[in-house]
Amino acid sequence: MLPASLDEAVEALAAHPAAVPVAGATDLMEAVNAGRLRPASLVGLGRITELRGWRYEDGGTAVLGAGLTHARMDRPDFAALIPALADAARTAGPPQVRNVGTLGGNIATAAPAGDTLPVLAALEASVTLARAGATREVPVSHLLTGLDPLRPGELLTWVRVPLLHAPQVFLKATGRSGPARATASVALVLDPARRAVRCAVGAVAPVPLRPLEAEAWVAGCIDWDGSREIDPAATAAFGEYVAAACVPDGYGAEGAWEAVTEGPSAAAVRLRRTVAVLARRALGRALK
Amino acid sequence: MTTDHPIEALDAGLLDHAHDHAPQVSRELRPTTSYTLRVNGFERPVTDAWIGESLLYVLRERLGLAGAKDGCEQGECGACSVQVDGQLVAGCLVPAALAQDSEINTVEGLSAGGGASDVQQALAESGAVQCGYCVPGLAMAVHDLLQRNHRPTEVEARQALCGNLCRCTGYRGALAAVQTVADARAAVAGAAEAAAEEAAAAPADRAAAPAAAAPADPGPQTADLPVYTEDTWIEHVPQPRTEEAGTTAGTGAGVGTGYGTQDGHGTPDRHSAPDGHGAPDGRGGYDGQGGYDSGVYDTTVLAPVRDVPPQQADGSTGFYPAQGYPEQQPYPGATPAHGTYLPGTGYPDQGGYPQQPGYDTASAYDGPVYETPATPAHGTPYVPAPPHGVPAEGTAQAGVPYGATPAHGIRLPEDDHAS
Ligand SMILES: Cc1cc2nc3c(=O)[nH]c(=O)nc-3n(C[C@H](O)[C@H](O)[C@H](O)COP(=O)(O)OP(=O)(O)OC[C@H]3O[C@@H](n4cnc5c(N)ncnc54)[C@H](O)[C@@H]3O)c2cc1C
Ligand code: FES
Ligand code: FES
Repeated sequence: MLPASLDEAVEALAAHPAAVPVAGATDLMEAVNAGRLRPASLVGLGRITELRGWRYEDGGTAVLGAGLTHARMDRPDFAALIPALADAARTAGPPQVRNVGTLGGNIATAAPAGDTLPVLAALEASVTLARAGATREVPVSHLLTGLDPLRPGELLTWVRVPLLHAPQVFLKATGRSGPARATASVALVLDPARRAVRCAVGAVAPVPLRPLEAEAWVAGCIDWDGSREIDPAATAAFGEYVAAACVPDGYGAEGAWEAVTEGPSAAAVRLRRTVAVLARRALGRALK
Repeated sequence: MTTDHPIEALDAGLLDHAHDHAPQVSRELRPTTSYTLRVNGFERPVTDAWIGESLLYVLRERLGLAGAKDGCEQGECGACSVQVDGQLVAGCLVPAALAQDSEINTVEGLSAGGGASDVQQALAESGAVQCGYCVPGLAMAVHDLLQRNHRPTEVEARQALCGNLCRCTGYRGALAAVQTVADARAAVAGAAEAAAEEAAAAPADRAAAPAAAAPADPGPQTADLPVYTEDTWIEHVPQPRTEEAGTTAGTGAGVGTGYGTQDGHGTPDRHSAPDGHGAPDGRGGYDGQGGYDSGVYDTTVLAPVRDVPPQQADGSTGFYPAQGYPEQQPYPGATPAHGTYLPGTGYPDQGGYPQQPGYDTASAYDGPVYETPATPAHGTPYVPAPPHGVPAEGTAQAGVPYGATPAHGIRLPEDDHAS
């Protein structure tokens, strides 16, 4: 099925509850080819042009269509709006995948290494979920943590992102120099109106993590009215703080975390070092 | 293999009996559909295909277009690269049923003229081919890059080809081929422009012609090419920021039209004679960058192919005589590689091609016959799909609540390792 409008799509899903919505199919076909998924029927979202762009709303919000591709978000006009999301989209796989892989698919898949997810968490974005005759608005974090998951027959339609007009950074560590999934990623945005720094760490846990205490602490170290400068030592301390908050001592250890008794595991030490460097650099670049 | 297939060994009664159940089985558990794909400009019907079949599978196994290769089926290797609606995609990740009404271009379309395209030729000559498995995908990626960006820098070329893995050659040849083709096309375009200029300015003073040509110069690149403001993967290579200006001021020429440089709006050759009047000098030199020596590039032989040329009415030459594969024989009774004629293209309608060569007769492929209802398309074990695509392994799709870590990464006191 290839509905041409959103209404048609939600009606098709209501009529065929077992149907699977398909956007870019990059995650879906990976699962199908590997024998992990056998769709009963497919509802292609690729023809719904209204979901492939974005619009603005009062109060400085951008409303992004779920069908925006990574390749589209990488373009300069979008990068000027939400730089961190553009940075994330630029690294989300090879061109063949970014040409079709979508924002909505990235959120719905909710992979630990999903690159847009820490950015959306740091931006405190929310999503609109639509089903026949009804829509609801859910914070991205509630969706990702399973607090308020996508229900059968529901489509992710819009992603509401505040326009902050301030530096934003997304940095990602990978296992090789070519396109690859993140071993750790950090999204950091400045919110000068609220004098806040918001940071999220991706790929180290099943959902992106927010180091709230570290954010609050570092926001107090920044001279918001002046040149927004910060002591380099504070930047480095922020990195350590974020890493310690997001990577538990027992990370990667055998069995449950409780089994670890003597300090952090070797994997935790390595990952903390990576996260600390990413967070330190992200803050440094945002305040540059 | 095909003659003693178990289905054929069954007696008729058993088959009838099986038929009582087979439709239900296939409908519920292995839903199929029929559709038409438009491949390289030709309509190719596909009947009763499982909805989960990838475009790569349908092209190779149902339509006999084996150019795109199956390297991984996971989107990682790029060997299956094809264009769908002008965009480079991994064929293995496109559900074929959803590609109906789309314009699909495969590597067979590149060589539609009968010989290798300029891209394929350059790849072969620059040493980008060893085992050759990656080359069809690479050729599509290079072709796609040069459609969008007539003058890619090395960084842009590397970014464009980063989804194509080659386990043999190390990519230098492929990168050299990009520059070879870009230079050669620019030389051709420069010559065409010069010729047009000359024709237009014929009565005028010849000395004025180059000056008149200058304002028409659209800059080094065309409109819609991707601009990478920051190179996140290859950080040590400087970005050519000066060229970005040319992209926003683009002329709109050439994008998505294939060899747009030939319409006279394209990129003038940096290497051709400075007065713009010279014939293509054929040097095509890729000078000064990384020490590539792409050698002489004979533009008369390698003029880009613009169109799919007409096929013979009897269909006998419908097979692409891909250069370097002279031994290739048509499958008996198969559909020509480039498909059946579109109605109204002026070519006689063949009408009589059997659909899906090799499937009904099982003549073309030695592999397992696809028809068997109980065998999933890719030989994977069948697992019934729960509604709405929840992965069959039982993990919830939209993120499992992470035992110890609540929303927003706030830690419970007992897990607090921060202090
Ligand atoms: C080689 C390769 C490399 C990759 N690298 C990265 C990477 O580095 N970083 C990264 O983040 N991702 C990566 N990915 C994953 C993938 O490309 C992204 O997650 C992409 O954003 C998925 O989008 P899609 O449109 O293809 O989703 P699809 O595959 O179409 O859909 C995925 C799931 O989401 C559901 N869905 C899609 N759209 C909607 C909607 N609007 N409403 C409700 N449900 C919906 C589908 O039903 C399906 O279950 C990679 C994938 C591949 C194959
Ligand atoms: S087979 Fe499609 S990318 Fe490897
Ligand atoms: S030539 Fe062997 S994989 Fe590229």
